[in-house]
Amino acid sequence: MKIRTEPSPGSGSVAAAAPTASLGRTRRWAKLKKDKWIYLLLAPGLLYFLIFKYVPMWGILLAFKDYQPFLGFWKSSWVGFEHFKVFFGNPEFVMLLRNTLILSFYNLLFYFPVPIILALLLNEVRRAYFKRTIQTLIYVPHFISMVIVASLTYVFLTTQGGIVNGLLEKYTGSTIDFLASPDWFRPMIILQTIWKESGFGTIIFLAALAGVDVEQYEAAIMDGANRWRQLWHITLPSIRNTIVILLILRMGEVMDNGFEQIYLMLNPLNREVAEVFDTYVYMMGITQGAFSYSTAVGLFKAVIGVILVLGSNWLAKRFGQTGIY
Amino acid sequence: MRQRKLKSWTILAASAVALASLAGCGGDNSNSNSNSESAASPKASPSGSAGQQAGTEKPLDLSIMLPIFKTNYPKDDGPVTTEIEKRTNTNIHLEWVPNASYADKFNITLASGKLPTIIYVPDVKNPSFVNAAKNGAFWDLTGYLKDYEYLSQANEVILNNSTVEGKNYGIYRGRALGRNGINYRKDWLEAVGMQPPKTIDDFYNMLKAFKEKDPDKNGKDDTYGMVLVKWTGQWASGFDTIKLWFGAPNKWGVADGKLVPEHQTPEYLEALKFMKKLYEEKLINQDFAVFDSAKWNDPVVNNQAGVIVDVTDNAARLDDKIHAALALEGKDNPDVHYVDNMIGVTGDHGLRALPTSGFAGMLSIPKSTVKTEEELKRVLSFIDRMNQPELQTLAGYGIEGKHYTLDGSDIVPSKDAALLESEVEGLNQMLTFIPADQGLKVKQTPLRLQTTKIQKEAEQYIVPNPAEPFISTVYSQKGQQLDNIINDARIKFIVGQTDEAGLLSAFETWKKSGGDDLTKEMNELYAAANNKG
Amino acid sequence: MNKTYRTFGGTVFDAANYIVLSAIGIAAVLPFLYVVAGSFASDAELTQRAFFIVPHSFSLMAYKYIFSTDTILHSLINSMYVTVVGTLVNLIFTVTMAYGLSKKNVAGRNMIMNLIIFSMLFGGGLIPTYLVVRELQLLDSYWALMLPGAISAFNLIIVKNFFQELPPELEEAAKIDGCSDLSLLWRIVLPLSMPVLATFTLFYAVGHWNNFFSALLYINDPEKWPLQVMLRQIVLLSQMAAGSADSVDYNYVQQAQQSIKMAVIVVGTLPILFVYPFLQKHFAKGVLIGSVKG
Repeated sequence: MKIRTEPSPGSGSVAAAAPTASLGRTRRWAKLKKDKWIYLLLAPGLLYFLIFKYVPMWGILLAFKDYQPFLGFWKSSWVGFEHFKVFFGNPEFVMLLRNTLILSFYNLLFYFPVPIILALLLNEVRRAYFKRTIQTLIYVPHFISMVIVASLTYVFLTTQGGIVNGLLEKYTGSTIDFLASPDWFRPMIILQTIWKESGFGTIIFLAALAGVDVEQYEAAIMDGANRWRQLWHITLPSIRNTIVILLILRMGEVMDNGFEQIYLMLNPLNREVAEVFDTYVYMMGITQGAFSYSTAVGLFKAVIGVILVLGSNWLAKRFGQTGIY
Repeated sequence: MRQRKLKSWTILAASAVALASLAGCGGDNSNSNSNSESAASPKASPSGSAGQQAGTEKPLDLSIMLPIFKTNYPKDDGPVTTEIEKRTNTNIHLEWVPNASYADKFNITLASGKLPTIIYVPDVKNPSFVNAAKNGAFWDLTGYLKDYEYLSQANEVILNNSTVEGKNYGIYRGRALGRNGINYRKDWLEAVGMQPPKTIDDFYNMLKAFKEKDPDKNGKDDTYGMVLVKWTGQWASGFDTIKLWFGAPNKWGVADGKLVPEHQTPEYLEALKFMKKLYEEKLINQDFAVFDSAKWNDPVVNNQAGVIVDVTDNAARLDDKIHAALALEGKDNPDVHYVDNMIGVTGDHGLRALPTSGFAGMLSIPKSTVKTEEELKRVLSFIDRMNQPELQTLAGYGIEGKHYTLDGSDIVPSKDAALLESEVEGLNQMLTFIPADQGLKVKQTPLRLQTTKIQKEAEQYIVPNPAEPFISTVYSQKGQQLDNIINDARIKFIVGQTDEAGLLSAFETWKKSGGDDLTKEMNELYAAANNKG
Repeated sequence: MNKTYRTFGGTVFDAANYIVLSAIGIAAVLPFLYVVAGSFASDAELTQRAFFIVPHSFSLMAYKYIFSTDTILHSLINSMYVTVVGTLVNLIFTVTMAYGLSKKNVAGRNMIMNLIIFSMLFGGGLIPTYLVVRELQLLDSYWALMLPGAISAFNLIIVKNFFQELPPELEEAAKIDGCSDLSLLWRIVLPLSMPVLATFTLFYAVGHWNNFFSALLYINDPEKWPLQVMLRQIVLLSQMAAGSADSVDYNYVQQAQQSIKMAVIVVGTLPILFVYPFLQKHFAKGVLIGSVKG
């Protein structure tokens, strides 16, 4: 093949300025032709998004209708912003918002760093056999059904003969009602999440760490860097990009709390801190069969999510990170 | 560049809209149903006479959508299914849906427009069903039932309970009405030297003795009276039964010809105070508000609790479990019953029992699939005929010799659980048990016989919910929330997190959050129903 | 490989690290051991003992029951089929699109990225997607389980980012040697991205394996049900919602025994647990050695 004289792709954006329109257009077509394989590669994915994500988008409109499955889309009546009015006008809205956000924030603050730290710890292990064993072990809880986790939580924490309270009573003489106390609800949920998901969460960081050029470490050692400095200057930067991306994408989920887990741990005594949007919609959904209502709430969550994702992406870019674009 | 961007956006948008409108159109409930399984046979006389000979007309093709509770299921060509088809002159296609997702599948089926011949409706009050029924999705069966041998014997009260705006859009699947009562450890009662309780005070004393007198004789102070859970649904409804003993109504009471919510009656408060007393004296499990309802039988089996207020048929199950546990230790006595049950105890208001609604869902017949009245009558005839005792036995237990053997007139089911599950179990979901379960039964231990007896007897003492048949818009929108206000408040009161003032203020909140609207609407429905005569 | 000089602090840290990680490993796996133990125990024991790792009573009843008919076995095979083929579909769609999007000079890139992010958060929902699947005649076929989720926007973005991180000198060098775009992808980029590919193979595979809801929606023929549907049936049987009419049916429906529930969980979880160790070698360090000199 001929050696090309144009700047190679991947070395930054190509200048699109063209002296005349026609020359610019030919240039553009030439570029398209040259990159045709790239566009071909994009085609299946594009098709997928169009068919399976964008064609069903009309479902968003259900938020503005009183959708009844039997009547179908066209015959169900329009209700405008009715669902939103009910949603925002609900006297418990503030409580729900508060619970949802606080839980999400706790998750971000306490859970998010754990897989990272775990991955870094694992990275320091030199015996491959040990490392792989631990990796496999910590990956298991992700697969245990939440129902079992809730059940075991009950067994450990109940005041009626539970293990933890048994010990507490023996050594301090009093018990703590973890399961019913509003004060313990959030810590309990976060601890459950940490137990269940950190192991699986390390995988992506381990993958990033695996991509680090080993020669960098060797060079650093020769320069006299100790382990901390290696960590700070080589290891951490190698996963920085991954962390930032995960954080940004996480922002889109700030209104989601993992319905099943909360629903299982919710009870009348901790409802005031436990009830979040997801459980609320589910509860409304049973009596109402409410597609429209849950679509409306979903729409609200999505709007907030988009704003946060784009916002945090912009912020990341300001700090010189790559961002998701 | 901007021009090109605009152009590509337009193309994208246009194609999306085009595709969307295609899909949207397809999504309408177009009643042009391609379900080829609705055969019509115009000449046949479809009255439900039981002796109708097969062979005079083509078998009726029908498809039934039912929930499956196990992982194995009877097949269309299984021996029991085939036998049913032979005897009812039908060709059955079973559409099994895992019960965990039945509600979603139900809604999707409604939306897709392709319904089976007979569809099980889990919740008659669910708005998507109500709306569909009101819009003509299902046949109104109210006038047809009288023509059929068994269906004509349907229970008036239950029929009424299962109506939508006064009409029956399906046939209810009958269940025992008087199912709730007290289950208790008989051996414990004997150990503390007491008689079965008759009054509320006796009941209290029984619980106290169970806590204090070491009824399981293990020398440890590790027992308590009664186990309770956080649910307040139809089962696990301990408190809902107990409150009746004090004279409180069942959800709605009638005073001066008007409906009054149960929590606004003084008797309700009295019942709550009783529960609080039980809690404070540690006669009920201290963690009931968070107790995992899947396990609530365990304390009784594990010698921790002695009483469970629940459906009385649970007594037999508890008994079986206790036998199994003791057998493990080699201490079982198979001839003795460890558990006993009773309808209830009396306060100042006589014996009162908590009824169930009397039915578990309905079988409905969609108009889009069953297009003519002729065919409808044939379908009804099938449902009716399934109430024959022989067919009830067939669908419930299978074929004699293969799935069970007979010991006199008692059924002894095969021990091959897998066989039963893949050929028999689940078929009883299509039975309506009208007027009752008249098929053969498993050998009844004395406890099971007693259970059947007291469940029938309880029917005279049940306190019906006068608002049971009403479908309230307020409830559809806010019902769950309103219920939570009351339920949370009463649990907090019982455990001592709030006092009586707090409880009453929660009741006030209920009123202001929509409770008053609900009461008003219920009363309007009540008045309308009573005026109809 | 890592030739650090030994310090006292370093050794202490290592020892502590081993201890901490071991503790975490044990804490992580204990509940699963309980489930495994429970699957071999009798129901009576499960009622009596709240938590144990070694069963007092040993019984194979649960497993005999599970494998006595071929329903569960059959659904296991269904799950395996969907997982393997589905993950392949995922990878093809995701990697091609991610690679394409990693090239910053591609026309319409920003617009496509916007479309993707938007679709990640906004969706039509259950019924519209169901209708699309129906219109495409995919109902009751395994494609209905594999196509609607072919690309996860989340995964796509991360994979794209990994591709963007690859040193551009790699590509330049290859292009100078006359490599075409496709060839570049296949012969150079992919082999170097093994950790990423391994990660997302895992993620997609786990997603398919655990997915029951799609099957509940799209598959009517019980012969095609994957394992998770069966599992949910059994495990959730006792979690009936309060007030549901089904709860009144307690008498007419036999509850599955506890030990069977646990056995189904074991059978449903073990296969996917074995996938990870196989992929682990791709997480080893040093994959990029010598790829770019200087």
